[in-house]
Amino acid sequence: MSLLELEQVTRTYDMGSVEVQALRGVSLAITAGEFVAIVGPSGSGKSTMMGILGCLDRPTSGTYSLDGTEVSELADDALAQIRSRTIGFVFQSYNLIPRTSAVDNVATPLLYQGVGRRERHARATAALERLGLGDRLSHEPTELSGGEQQRVAVARAIVTDPAVLLADEPTGNLATHQGLEVLEVFKGLHASGRTIVLITHDLSVAAVADRQIRLLDGLVEGQADGRLAA
Amino acid sequence: MSAVELVRLALSRLRTARVRAALTMLGVIIGVASVVALVSVGRGTTSQITSRLSALGTNLLTINATGRNGTNTTLTIDDANAIAQTDTVAAVAPEVQTQQVVAVGRTTTTTSIVGTSAAYASVRAYEVWQGTFLTDTSVDSSLRVAVLGATVANALSLDASAIGTQVSIGGLSFEVIGILQPKGGSGFQDPDNEVLVPVGAVQKYFVGGNQVRTIGVSVASPDAIQSTRDAITSLLRTRHGIATTASDDFSIFDQAQLLSTATSISGTLTLLLGGIASISLLVGGIGIMNIMLVSVRERTREIGIRKALGAKARDILSQFLIEALTLSLIGGLIGIAVGLAVSALIGRIAGWGFSIDPGTMAIATLFSLVVGVVFGVWPARQAARLDPIAALRYE
Repeated sequence: MSLLELEQVTRTYDMGSVEVQALRGVSLAITAGEFVAIVGPSGSGKSTMMGILGCLDRPTSGTYSLDGTEVSELADDALAQIRSRTIGFVFQSYNLIPRTSAVDNVATPLLYQGVGRRERHARATAALERLGLGDRLSHEPTELSGGEQQRVAVARAIVTDPAVLLADEPTGNLATHQGLEVLEVFKGLHASGRTIVLITHDLSVAAVADRQIRLLDGLVEGQADGRLAA
Repeated sequence: MSAVELVRLALSRLRTARVRAALTMLGVIIGVASVVALVSVGRGTTSQITSRLSALGTNLLTINATGRNGTNTTLTIDDANAIAQTDTVAAVAPEVQTQQVVAVGRTTTTTSIVGTSAAYASVRAYEVWQGTFLTDTSVDSSLRVAVLGATVANALSLDASAIGTQVSIGGLSFEVIGILQPKGGSGFQDPDNEVLVPVGAVQKYFVGGNQVRTIGVSVASPDAIQSTRDAITSLLRTRHGIATTASDDFSIFDQAQLLSTATSISGTLTLLLGGIASISLLVGGIGIMNIMLVSVRERTREIGIRKALGAKARDILSQFLIEALTLSLIGGLIGIAVGLAVSALIGRIAGWGFSIDPGTMAIATLFSLVVGVVFGVWPARQAARLDPIAALRYE
């Protein structure tokens, strides 16, 4: 059974007089343990995909089932719950909470799960150590290099042990060698059995994944109006 | 999220923005401090007025002559004696006054000489410090004896050793038989600046006649004040032969009435002061709202991140609300401390002492919490309603 399954998903933005169709009927399925890259040029609907896959947004039509739950119709609080339990985010611009130490940043998702302070700290420390940041626990984001910040973000994404890791252009802001470092981290996580969805415009980055899904003009390439299977 | 976690989060946030937090709190601090200080000033004034007025004598009716019979006032010693026969009257002291120069050797002072009876001490609530008060015997025989008020004794540099010595009053020699305890007083007149002598002596040596200007009446119980007042009115009207249609030739002045009027005036004043001070608290609250709105705007991205990490709308709402509450509560507590310090200082300067009133402090604390909720809830709702995707993209 698929871990993520999109069926005929569309997403239309109402821009006043004009309606913009960002996704025009996307169907795809990702199995647990897969490392998939969703790749496409800018304007292809990648960011919209990211929002919907990450339960930050709802499809205009179609269905999305995640880990056995149909999430396309859920209310805000229920979506927040899904994000908290099932999804780990890594963003292009790291999105660490400013003026907050690395360990507190990593512990934040646990805070919203209601985990106690001591356990939060222990698990956040463990996650950071796993990413080789054991000596950066109390550093604030501004005291870390870009690569280190992104590794803190990865630690934060995996600290809740989510079903899927969703990375949006994770190397976009990094120097090449730092980007490679982060990709190595993803490979390692995948090797240990984690499901990873990597969204990028960069084909060489996408090449790290086992499978590439190409997105063009709001459609998966090869899906005519989304009626054919990928 | 538990309340403890939220407070911890709010405190750590306030630590990272110390200056801003301090300035925001300043508004609440000034508001709460002025409420506490002004209410305490109001209460101090009220209690001072009350104690000053009761120091003038309790259950006191003061009868003043308003009509004139030729050159003389209409009240007489006989009126005083008649009033003394009324059941509910505890003591009656006729008073006739004259301004005279009092001298001991080369030291002189001009003061009010009050001719009265032995009952004066209980009617006007005076206590003797040294020697004795006027006695019925000395009053009946109009002896040339004098009891000095504390201010007069001071002015003449007389102490306990002066008992039994002579002072000159208006050129006549009087024996000092007593010196009074100071009552203290301000606002009206100094109640210690007078010399008491037998009423007959003043009439005989200084003013002549049988008239008195004032009769002080001490009523047996507070409940009997009104009935005694009525009884005295009809008694005096009969004695003075006033026709039913004519108006009184005297006025009766009620201490209790004055007390309640003064208390209600100063109570209103306290309320007014507190109300004015509340306006500054309101301004402080608006300051909190302003800074929380700025904060929500600045931290839009952080809110997006927190939502992506699993925060529910109510987690964000609580976080910002608790931040506003923490600001207003800490501000409120500091404000209470400042307010108490200011009231203590004013109390010391004005001399009415200082007492901590738990009620005022509880209300001030409650008030600052209410300010936090009222002015914090709108920004917090703004934060909680943010769309996560838009918030994450916010620059």
